[in-house]
Amino acid sequence: MFKSLKSITLGAVAAVLMAGVAHADITVYTAGPQSLIDKMSEGFTKETGIKVNVFQATTGKVMARIEAEASNPVVDVLISASWDTASDFEKRGWLVKYSSPNAAKVPDFLKSDYAVAQGISALGIAWNTKSGTPKPSDWADLTKPEYKDMVNIPDPAQSGSSFELTAALAGQDDFKLFKDLQANGAIIAGANAEALNPVLQGAKAAVFGAVDYITLAAAKKGESVEVVFPASGTVIAPRPAMILNWSKNQDEAKKFIDYMLSDAGQKMVAAQMLMPARSDVAADRPLISDLKLLKFDNAAVYGKRKETLGEITKIFGGK
Amino acid sequence: MAAKSVGGQAPAAWLAIAGLLLVVAVPFAAVVMQGIFPELGQGSFANPFSSFVTTLNDGALIGMAGNTILLGCCVVLASAVVAVPLGVFRALYRVPGAALFDVLLLVPFMIPPYIATLGWIMTLQPRGYLQQLLGFNLASFLFSLAGMTMVMAFNTFPVVYFAVSRTVEAVGARYADVGRVFGATPARAFWRITLPLSAPGLAASLMLVFAAAIEEYGTPAALGRRAGFQVLVTGIDLRISDWPIDLPGASIMSLLLVGLSLLTFLGQRWILSRRSYQTVNGKPTAKDKRPLGVMKWPVLAAFIIVSFLATGVPLLSILATAMSRTISGGLALDNMSFDNFLSVFQNSAGALGALANSFSLGIGTALITGLIGVTAAYTVVKTKIRGRLAIDSLTIIPNALPGIVVAVGLILAWNMPWLPATPYNTPFILLLAYCCILLPQTMRYSTAAFQQIGDNLEAAARVFGASGITAFRRILLPLVFPSLASAMLLVFALASRELVASVVIAPVGMQTIATFIWRQFEQGSIGLGMAMAFIAILITTLLPLLLLALLRRSGLVAE
Repeated sequence: MFKSLKSITLGAVAAVLMAGVAHADITVYTAGPQSLIDKMSEGFTKETGIKVNVFQATTGKVMARIEAEASNPVVDVLISASWDTASDFEKRGWLVKYSSPNAAKVPDFLKSDYAVAQGISALGIAWNTKSGTPKPSDWADLTKPEYKDMVNIPDPAQSGSSFELTAALAGQDDFKLFKDLQANGAIIAGANAEALNPVLQGAKAAVFGAVDYITLAAAKKGESVEVVFPASGTVIAPRPAMILNWSKNQDEAKKFIDYMLSDAGQKMVAAQMLMPARSDVAADRPLISDLKLLKFDNAAVYGKRKETLGEITKIFGGK
Repeated sequence: MAAKSVGGQAPAAWLAIAGLLLVVAVPFAAVVMQGIFPELGQGSFANPFSSFVTTLNDGALIGMAGNTILLGCCVVLASAVVAVPLGVFRALYRVPGAALFDVLLLVPFMIPPYIATLGWIMTLQPRGYLQQLLGFNLASFLFSLAGMTMVMAFNTFPVVYFAVSRTVEAVGARYADVGRVFGATPARAFWRITLPLSAPGLAASLMLVFAAAIEEYGTPAALGRRAGFQVLVTGIDLRISDWPIDLPGASIMSLLLVGLSLLTFLGQRWILSRRSYQTVNGKPTAKDKRPLGVMKWPVLAAFIIVSFLATGVPLLSILATAMSRTISGGLALDNMSFDNFLSVFQNSAGALGALANSFSLGIGTALITGLIGVTAAYTVVKTKIRGRLAIDSLTIIPNALPGIVVAVGLILAWNMPWLPATPYNTPFILLLAYCCILLPQTMRYSTAAFQQIGDNLEAAARVFGASGITAFRRILLPLVFPSLASAMLLVFALASRELVASVVIAPVGMQTIATFIWRQFEQGSIGLGMAMAFIAILITTLLPLLLLALLRRSGLVAE
């Protein structure tokens, strides 16, 4: 123990001393899965010799860190789980314009001048196959008596994609679906993982709007859970990767984006059960072309964010 | 005693002040500045105080503050009801298997609150372990104020139990015996003599529980949101985890929490300042305890039930989850395996590195907070230096600062571009964060210990020619060492599992036990996270016990 304390101390001292000397390392902040960024940086280092320092957390925690660091930022590449952050950073003028040659096969709606998707997740119904309930096929099914008190909804205030789903569905029928869900005993249950856990154990039968890749990975491990993509449509969450304009290693950062969109990089994305951003890379799961997407006006939806969340709080209430 | 007291206060005071400035004042000042200047992160001092209006005008704030105080009071009350009787029996009577119960009641310290909460959820929710075993569930109880109070009280009551058993033991039966000689009944002697003399330890521990309860994030987030019960910390977290990030709002709400904590602290000081609690005065005390008599079986039953609920249930639930191949498979024999434990030992996802990191940081934090805590407590209690109250208050602030706000404060303070060298983005920043968050522990315990030591002991040493430093080292330090050592062991356990600050502030590429577990949960690998949690709990329990045994053998700590 003391030995490792010593080595940490030495390592830290060395890191401080090296800080002015070492170049060519890039720092990546990511809201994606840890194992994905681990594999991707390993492959990238092997190919280019450029080392990657990683900080991984949820989108919110990553953003809090960038906000607090803003006077002296260290991040070169940011991979967020919500396209909204890419638009916001672009408006603030924090991003570098870059179009990777490997992005040619990425559909237009998954890239801008400043950001490009690493991969895409979609929302669906995560349903416990052993729950004794019939398999749902659409959102409205979960308001039926069979699912009384058996539905979890991820908190739209804590997840960008949950918010988009909520706003899109609420816009169609003026919150009627959510009022019905509440009347049927559905509850708002924390962030994504928190909402899924009770469904695995069987305390709940279904998550209304679960992030698909986590559920698909759980099913692959043998959990009795299945993802249903509702017939009336759902929303997707492209995960934008962007280069920050304060980066002193922009050339290396661009190489990282290129690697992320290479065949090897996109296969790693697919292995996590995410949809690859490139349309020509195969994946063992439903792809965007297989999904029906809900139509909504992004700008209008985010413009009324506070009102929408307020209405949801009022319906599920108690605060 | 005149302004210059007998002690060797100068070096101790300077060490304490320097340590406190670095560890507490710097991040706290950054938080205050952030609250006042919303654009501080960008290095701008524009629009001062603009965030105060919007944050304090939020209608939900009063409800959240009320809920925070309510929850804190409930947890304090529940902890006292469970811990005080047990502690008193442990101190004054011969409880069968007392040493074993001390260990069992130590374990809840070592179980991270968010893990214990998850364990309780998986036990009590519909189709949870309780229903799988006995056919019923207690979900409606768990997801309520009562359930939250129970889970949090079982996590924090050991603070009170150990403080009460130690201080009552130190007071001993001797003072109560004097009361008995003069005709008091046993009950009267206890209420009028033993309990009041134990007040410093009891009040300090109850205040720690209150501060821990209002600052706790995991349990209210997991249980309270479903009961529609928002507290300040969950509100603060939402401001930080929800884009656009509202750092100034979070800082201002944290200052409210700090205010609450300081109020309880001043209340405790006021209670203690009304009389002297010095009971350690160099006279020999009788150490033997009384037999329980007819109370033997009821007391034993109480110890067993509390140990089972506080330690058994969460541990068994964690173990069951760690051993399940799949969560949906439930408690079936063919669903049990050691795969998750093997994965930890095969260093999957950097598990072993995380263990080594956390334990090294835990040891470092225990040593530093021990040193600052004991010198600061000495300065506050035994010297007449001006500004003692400021020093004392400074050590109470971190108790109420949510971990995530400490993290943001540290980033703001140590990531300023003009600093020639900075601990930020090195493991030292975690060390600073843990020291800041946990300093109140060593400080409170040492203060309570110093308050019980008579001034004449140090004076006697000085009369016989010892220098101030020698008197401190040879007389005072050995007398407070038992309290200090247990506080340092507690700090070690708490530091090696700290989550909320670590998630935001960990240097790039570095994992700790808590961030490892948290990432496994986020990715749906609950079993692997729980296996790691179980291993960490075992090590954090056994390591301090081993250390204590060694210290006892070398005669540094009394039985």
